[in-house]
This record gives sequence, C-alpha cells and structure tokens, in this order.
Amino acid sequence: MNEEQIKLSKDLLTDDIGLIAAAGYINNEGGQAIADAATDLMGDGATTLLIDLKGTRIINSIGVSILLEILEKLLDEQGRLAFCNLTPTISKTFEIMGLVQYAAVYPSREVARAALEGDVTS
Amino acid sequence: MEVVLHLPVVPNVELVAAKAVETLGGALGMHQTRVEAASVAVVEACLNAMEHGGGPVTVRLRSKNGSARPCLVIEVEDHGKGFDPERAPQNSPSRILGRASKRGWGLTLIRELMDEVQIRSAPGKTLVYMCKYVESAP
Repeated sequence: MNEEQIKLSKDLLTDDIGLIAAAGYINNEGGQAIADAATDLMGDGATTLLIDLKGTRIINSIGVSILLEILEKLLDEQGRLAFCNLTPTISKTFEIMGLVQYAAVYPSREVARAALEGDVTS
Repeated sequence: MEVVLHLPVVPNVELVAAKAVETLGGALGMHQTRVEAASVAVVEACLNAMEHGGGPVTVRLRSKNGSARPCLVIEVEDHGKGFDPERAPQNSPSRILGRASKRGWGLTLIRELMDEVQIRSAPGKTLVYMCKYVESAP
C-alpha cells in the first residue's frame, strides 16, 4: 500500500465536463490536490466534475471532508459531482458521510461518461 | 500472531498501521473488502489518537480464534487527556452540507466499518478496541 503520494491528472472531457483521475491516499494533502484540480477545471468552464478513483484504496475523513467542500462549491454554481471506480469501502465511507446523497456514483469511467454526456445533451 | 507498533506523530504514519492491518488480515484469509474497511478504521483511530492524544500512539493487532467468529482485533492507545465517548460528536449525513466544519467523522466511521468497537477513556489513557470478523455474517 505505497500510496502516500497521490497521482493526479485532470482533463476537460467536453466543454462543461471535467475529469480528475486520482490514485493514492486521499488525506488532507490528497484531498487538497483534488480540490485544486477541481478549481482549475471549474475555471476552465466545467460545471460537472467526474472524479475517477481507480487506484485509490484508502482514504481518511479529512480527505473526504475536502471532497464535500468541492461538492458544495459545485452545487452553489448549479453544477454536479460524480465518482467512478470506487472500492466497496470507499463507497461505504461516502455513504456514511453523506456524499452519495448529492453525487452520482458509476462503476466505470466509460459508464460515467455515457451517463453524464447523455445528461448534458438531453 | 500479534503485531505491536509504537507510532511517532509524523505525517502519514497512520499508513504504517494500515499496512499492518493489510498484512495480518491477508494472513488470516480476510476478504480484501473487509481488510480495507479495517484499514480505514485504523487510520481514523490513529488520526484521532494523534490529534487528541498529542503524543506517540500504540497500535496492537492480533488474531482472535477462540471465539465463535474468528476476528482481527485492533487496539489503538494514546495517552492524552481522554474524552467521554458518550459525548463524542455524532455526525449525520443529513447535516453535512452547509456546515463550516466537516470534521469529526472518525468515530462514526470506525463504528460503521468495524464489527465490534469499545472505547475506554480516562485522563492519561484512551483505548479504542476494534474487531473485524474474518468472514462476513452468514
């Protein structure tokens, strides 16, 4: 579980859908790195953010609390947050902390893209 | 089979405890999902112990085979001022948005992710006892 350093990438999938791929320990530093990427993508016009956590197996509540702040920021701007590739434990943690009440969860990036891009064009 | 860790308060040291849970849980034949749940719980317990205990943290892991349901036992001990577990924050997902602080989820996560949890706390010593069954309920 060599996950101290989070590996992160970001990209605009469409004009208004941003993707953040994060693999590693989501603690205060990992959560902040994701928040910074989210801010960048929102500045580029993204109103929907998809966070792909493939490769992330351990998180802590401080990291998740930062994800909640991203969610609040998006909701304030009528945006949406979605996740994909969650382990069962991360999914349960998000459920316990209330994240999944406001964010969609998809099994894979492909399924998420199809759903989110479908929503955007519909 | 027992592992004892004495963890100094340094960044990300909680991952050492998580790694020990992963190794011991794997040796006991626990499913990966159960190991990961126990790993998140021990991370939260260590973070609480370091934040509120203010000093080194002791983590003990052992297998418990004599009971009806074999389990991985994890104990996290600190030597801070202690707290009243009954008065610890009880977070609810319905109250999460709009709050200035989103912290204080550690004990809630520990209780939800582990099968048994007991907390004994007094000035000078807090012990969080957690148990994760090797196999899920039949």
